[in-house]
Amino acid sequence: MLSTYAPMFMIIAIATLIAGLFYTFATVLGPKNPTPEKMMPFECGSDSVGSRGVKLSVKFYLTAILFVVFDIEAVFVYPWAIQFRQLGWFGLASMIGFLSVVAIALVYVWRKGALEWES
Amino acid sequence: MSTMNLDHFVVLSAILFTIGSIGFLVRRNVIVTLMSIEIMLNAVNLALVAFNRAHPANYSGQIFTFFVIAAEAAEVAIGLAIVLAMFRLHRTIRTDDATLLKN
Amino acid sequence: MLLMFALSPFLVLGGGALLLMLAEVFSRRPSGLAIGTTIVFITSGAFSVALWLYGIEFLPVGILSPWILVDKFTLFFNVLLCLGGALASLLAGGYLVEYKLNRGEFYSILLFATFGGMMLASAGDFLTLFLGLETMSLGAYALTAFRRASPRSAEGALKYFLLGSFAAAIMLYGIALVYGATGSTDLARVGAAFSHGVVTSHPMALIGLVLIVIGLLFKVSAVPFHMWTPDAYEGAPTPATAYMAVVVKSAAFAMMLRVLLTSFGDAESMSWSAGWPPALAAIAVLTMTVANLIAGRQDSVKRMLAYSSIAHAGYLLVGVVVALRSKEQAAAGVIFYLATYTVSTIGAFGALILLGSYGKEAVSYDDLAGVGKRHPAIAMAFSLFLFSLAGVPPTAGFFGKWFIFRAAMDSGFYWLTILAFINSVIGAYYYLRVLVFMYMREPQPGAAIAVPMQSRHVKAALLLSAVFVLALGLAPTCTLDAAIAAATTFRM
Repeated sequence: MLSTYAPMFMIIAIATLIAGLFYTFATVLGPKNPTPEKMMPFECGSDSVGSRGVKLSVKFYLTAILFVVFDIEAVFVYPWAIQFRQLGWFGLASMIGFLSVVAIALVYVWRKGALEWES
Repeated sequence: MSTMNLDHFVVLSAILFTIGSIGFLVRRNVIVTLMSIEIMLNAVNLALVAFNRAHPANYSGQIFTFFVIAAEAAEVAIGLAIVLAMFRLHRTIRTDDATLLKN
Repeated sequence: MLLMFALSPFLVLGGGALLLMLAEVFSRRPSGLAIGTTIVFITSGAFSVALWLYGIEFLPVGILSPWILVDKFTLFFNVLLCLGGALASLLAGGYLVEYKLNRGEFYSILLFATFGGMMLASAGDFLTLFLGLETMSLGAYALTAFRRASPRSAEGALKYFLLGSFAAAIMLYGIALVYGATGSTDLARVGAAFSHGVVTSHPMALIGLVLIVIGLLFKVSAVPFHMWTPDAYEGAPTPATAYMAVVVKSAAFAMMLRVLLTSFGDAESMSWSAGWPPALAAIAVLTMTVANLIAGRQDSVKRMLAYSSIAHAGYLLVGVVVALRSKEQAAAGVIFYLATYTVSTIGAFGALILLGSYGKEAVSYDDLAGVGKRHPAIAMAFSLFLFSLAGVPPTAGFFGKWFIFRAAMDSGFYWLTILAFINSVIGAYYYLRVLVFMYMREPQPGAAIAVPMQSRHVKAALLLSAVFVLALGLAPTCTLDAAIAAATTFRM
């Protein structure tokens, strides 16, 4: 059974080997000329500001949670979409019912102002 | 040929469930506790899907998994909201600091 | 069309919840929401009564099976849960305004959680059972955390949430194991597999049973799975506490009866030598004793009522153990007890709410000193509910206890009956202590005096509860007959 996977293991081994070789040669053979500028963290050219443990706004949490809650509904839509023809009108009616409840929830969230970023 | 059978999955799910419950009981950080509960629920999902292979007459195991995933998401949403409220008022997310209510 | 009629209690409650949710965000004036919620609850309950009178045997309820079982057991619980929900939303109508918490979400959550509870009582499959349980529990967590400025509220909610999710996970793993052993999540098919000895061929079914029972015991807050109860009950706003003590607990007992009697109701699992009844009997005794002993030591009346609700779970578990001899008698006793417990508990919490106002809450026993003289009407109502909780005739609580104890005697559980009786005498001590403070103590000079709030909503809820307590106490026959009819669902 293991023989089926032999090519895969070989690829992994070769890839590791090549990557390791490149890394070793670069560190051993490459010229080194450290300056203070080069030792600074690189952030697309702009200077980095503040410390690492910065507190994020609660707005991120709200958006993320709303995304998770609404995103999960796809779990029920996919199986229905795959079996669309076999489920027929009953399936369509159920899905309309389900999605309208989700839509009402969306309207609620929107009217509550949870989707506003600036407030 | 495959040497994996149902027992492997069941044993793996039991191990996951045990890791989750020990994590829940031992760790004091609320976020880690929530993650432990997620591990337990994922153990449940694994067991349900594995058992569905043994009972292929209908897909109740796999369907059940979908609902567990959806309920999990709702649970996490509520849970994190409560943790946030707790953090705002207590400035801590450790469960052993929650000692206001005692008889 | 008839199918819609069969589902009408659910459709009304779910549709009403969605409508009120939209009404709340579009009108921005939550003043009428309490009444609106009460009306939705009453309409849903009325549809359940109509279904009962119409006769469910004439309805095409078979195609809903096993997901939603529309039988008399379901209908009885629908009415009971809607009654509890209606009274709780009336209490909220006064409380939330008084304590400046008046945000409309409370009512939508109340309706959705009750929807989950009704689903729980009617579920004939572990899938719908799990969904109902989650819907109800998530609502209860949110209600507990509703006092956003209060650290106690957040802390109680956190404990409730963590332990509740843990218990749900344990129960789910039990469901998965039972599914693996029996190949079905249908409660009735699982029951058939158990009576054909699935435990001997697949021992993991037994582990599944144990895990499911632990989850059930957690949800009804039996000792030693009760740790979250006092904290969550104390931290929650009082109408939410009343709601959890009544609706959530009733739905949990409905689930417990359904699962234990349908799935694990075979001769082997329900035997005294090898089944769940002895474990449940031991836990019943433990629950009653521990809760009563701790309740007597509380200073806060709200916390005392929380422990009292744990003690009542103990009496109810005694009723469940009776199933060993007669499933029907057990179910009837528990159902009737839940009806009497619902009205008495809502009334007691309602009286506590009415006695206080913003900044002048009635929390400890000392706050109640002299209330009997200053506010005789409220004190009298409070006494009535406490008498009912203690089981003094001729109140509702007396008959509730009487039917459970008599069923236990009939089944030969003399020791269990005696222990339950001793416990209800201990329980009477701390209920009467409230009366002593209300009627025989004077407030300490200089101490803060609780001032009753002015709220027609709360008064209406108290009046309704008082009427129900007296009606169930003086003429229990009608409700008892309904409870016995509901219990025929479990006839073999």
